[in-house]
Amino acid sequence: MQPTRCLLKRSVWKGPHIVPLPIVRPELGKKVAPIRTQARSATILPNFVGLKFQVHNGKVYHDVTITEEMVGHKLGEFSPSRKPFIYNKK
Amino acid sequence: MVFIFGVNFHEQKLVKKALETFYALGPQTSDRILAKHFIHPRMKMGALPPKTLTALTAELSTMTIESDARRLLQDNIKRLRDMGTYRGRRHAMGLPARGQRTRNQIETAKSLNQVERRG
Repeated sequence: MQPTRCLLKRSVWKGPHIVPLPIVRPELGKKVAPIRTQARSATILPNFVGLKFQVHNGKVYHDVTITEEMVGHKLGEFSPSRKPFIYNKK
Repeated sequence: MVFIFGVNFHEQKLVKKALETFYALGPQTSDRILAKHFIHPRMKMGALPPKTLTALTAELSTMTIESDARRLLQDNIKRLRDMGTYRGRRHAMGLPARGQRTRNQIETAKSLNQVERRG
């Protein structure tokens, strides 16, 4: 990922778009339920890495596991909200 | 005929234009290279001294141009695709990636937006 990527999108003084999400730090050996959210515009921060999200696309919640290279992107980029058009001839 | 970076150029070709024939080297970068090596903007290839030619070749070999730049571009698209982003998906489908309409006039996206992008 380019280091300037986030800077090009948004003015620096605003910082990344931070949405308060109910993030629970997983304790060792315990399973944590994925974080269900509709905040598609929330920027993925470095402390999200390894967490599981369920991102709303307007209809259903898509499972997204955050990896290191996703930092700086938005949650909504990983939950497609449009159905591709496929032509069915009967 | 003059050699720069393994490519043959005609002696009557402008140095600026010759530099711009390399992929990922545009007007701005070529202007900067000319300024760095004290070459007049309207100098032709035939008038370049051999010392400058070797300096130019050395300069170009340190830059990410041609196949390096192409690989960088393809890697960036591939990274988007592997992450499963919307943009990567659109590249795989050969459709516009920035919210343009797709009813008509998408020839540029059709030809360029591919995972193995060529240009």
